[in-house]
Amino acid sequence: MMKKLRLYLTPLLITAFLIGSMPVAATPHGQAETGLVSTQAALSADSSSAERERISEVLARADVQEQLLAQGVSLDEVEKRVAALSDAEVHQMAEQLEQLPAGAGGGVIGALFAVFIILLVTDILGLTDVYPFTR
Amino acid sequence: MPFCLFYARSAGVLLLMSLLLGCAASPRLNDSTLNNLPPGDLLKEVPFYAQRDYQCGPASLAMVLNAAGVNVEMENLIPQVFIPGRKGSVQSEMLATVRRHGMIPFPIEGSLDALLTQLASGQPVVVLQNLALPVWPMWHYAVAIGYDLPTRTLTLHSGEISNHEMSLSRFDATWARSERWGFTIMSPGSVPEAIRPFRAIEAISTFESVQGVQAALPSWKALVNTHPDSAMGHFALGNAHYAVGEIKKSRQALEQAVLLDESLGVAWLNLGLIERQLNNDVEARRALSRAAALTGPWQTKAQETLNTL
Repeated sequence: MMKKLRLYLTPLLITAFLIGSMPVAATPHGQAETGLVSTQAALSADSSSAERERISEVLARADVQEQLLAQGVSLDEVEKRVAALSDAEVHQMAEQLEQLPAGAGGGVIGALFAVFIILLVTDILGLTDVYPFTR
Repeated sequence: MPFCLFYARSAGVLLLMSLLLGCAASPRLNDSTLNNLPPGDLLKEVPFYAQRDYQCGPASLAMVLNAAGVNVEMENLIPQVFIPGRKGSVQSEMLATVRRHGMIPFPIEGSLDALLTQLASGQPVVVLQNLALPVWPMWHYAVAIGYDLPTRTLTLHSGEISNHEMSLSRFDATWARSERWGFTIMSPGSVPEAIRPFRAIEAISTFESVQGVQAALPSWKALVNTHPDSAMGHFALGNAHYAVGEIKKSRQALEQAVLLDESLGVAWLNLGLIERQLNNDVEARRALSRAAALTGPWQTKAQETLNTL
C-alpha cells in the first residue's frame, strides 16, 4: 500500500517542484536587465573607501591615540598622512591592522600593538623603514 | 564557534576566570565620549528572557527584537539561529535572523566609545563575549542595556541574570576577545546615530538584497539625511529610486552623488544610463564620458555604452 502510494506520489512531487521553480528561473533579475550597476556590485568593487573608514576607526580608538600622543605625534598628522595614501597603500595598511589582535589589557597584546605603533610613527618620522606605505 | 555559557556547569570555572582576569587594565575612553555622553543610562524598556541551556543567541535576539517592537517569541527564534551540534549560534546567522524579521542589523564599531554612544542614544546592543580565555573559549551573547561612568560599569541582560552589572574593564576584556563584535538593530527608515557611513551603507545594502528595494528605500533616505556628504549613500539611494520606477528622483540622487564626489565613476555611469533611457543624448554622452575617463572597474562598460550612442 505504502509502496504503491510512493510510486504515484514521487513523479507527481517532482513535476510540482519543477513547475514551481520555473517562474523563478524565468524572471529577469531586476536591475541587470536595465544595465544599471547595482549598489552591491559598486560596493564590492570599491573596497578602498571602506578600508579608509576602517583605518579612521582604528585611529579614533582612545588606546591608539594615547600611543600616538606618547610618541609625540599628533593625530592630525597621521590622519593627513593616511588621506595622502593611494588606494593600494590603504589596502595594505588595512590588512596589517586586520592582523593585529583587537585585545586590550594583555601584556603581550599591548606590547605587539605598541611595537606596531612605534614603528609606524618612527617610519613617518623617517627614522625607520618597516612599512612601505609610509614612504 | 560561538556557544553559550551554561551557568550551572561552569560557575566554578567562571569564578576562577574572574580571579585571573581581575587584574585587567582599565580601558581608555575618548575625551569626546566622556564630555559628550550623559554620565549614565539604563534602557529599562528592554525585556529580559533567561536563556535555557546554551541558547543565549536566541534569547539575546528576542530581547532586542521585542524592544524594537517586533512580536516574536524566543521559542520561535531557537530553530532559526541555534545550531544544536555546536551548542550555539554563529554571528552571521544572528544578523540574518534579524533581517528575516524585517529589521536591519548594524554591526557597530569595535570600541567601548561606540558601544556607550549607542546606549546613550537609546539603542540596546547585542555583544559577543568570550568569557574565558582565547585558548579555551567560552563564547556568549548578551545584550548591553546601560552604563554608568562614575562607577565605570556596564549593565547587561546576560544568560540567566537580568541587569547584570559588570565593571567596564572586565567587560572590555571579555569583549575584546571577540574583536569587540556587536550590533544594534533598526527598523527600515532609521539609521543609528554615530555609525560611519560605509558601515551603514553595507548594512542597508545587505538588508536590501534579502528584503528587497521597496523595504530598504526608507533607510536609504534616512542615510542621506544623516550623512548628506556621503556620495556612495546618494548613489545607493539613486539605485533604489530607479528600481521602484522613480526615475526622476533617481537621476536627482545620482547627480548629487557626482556633485559630492566627481571621481565616483560608477555614479557617472548609472547617471549616463538613465539619461540615455530618458533620451537625453547630450546629458547621457556627458555623464558617460566622465565615467569613461576614470580608471577603474566601470571604465570599459562606460566606454562601450558611449559607443552605442
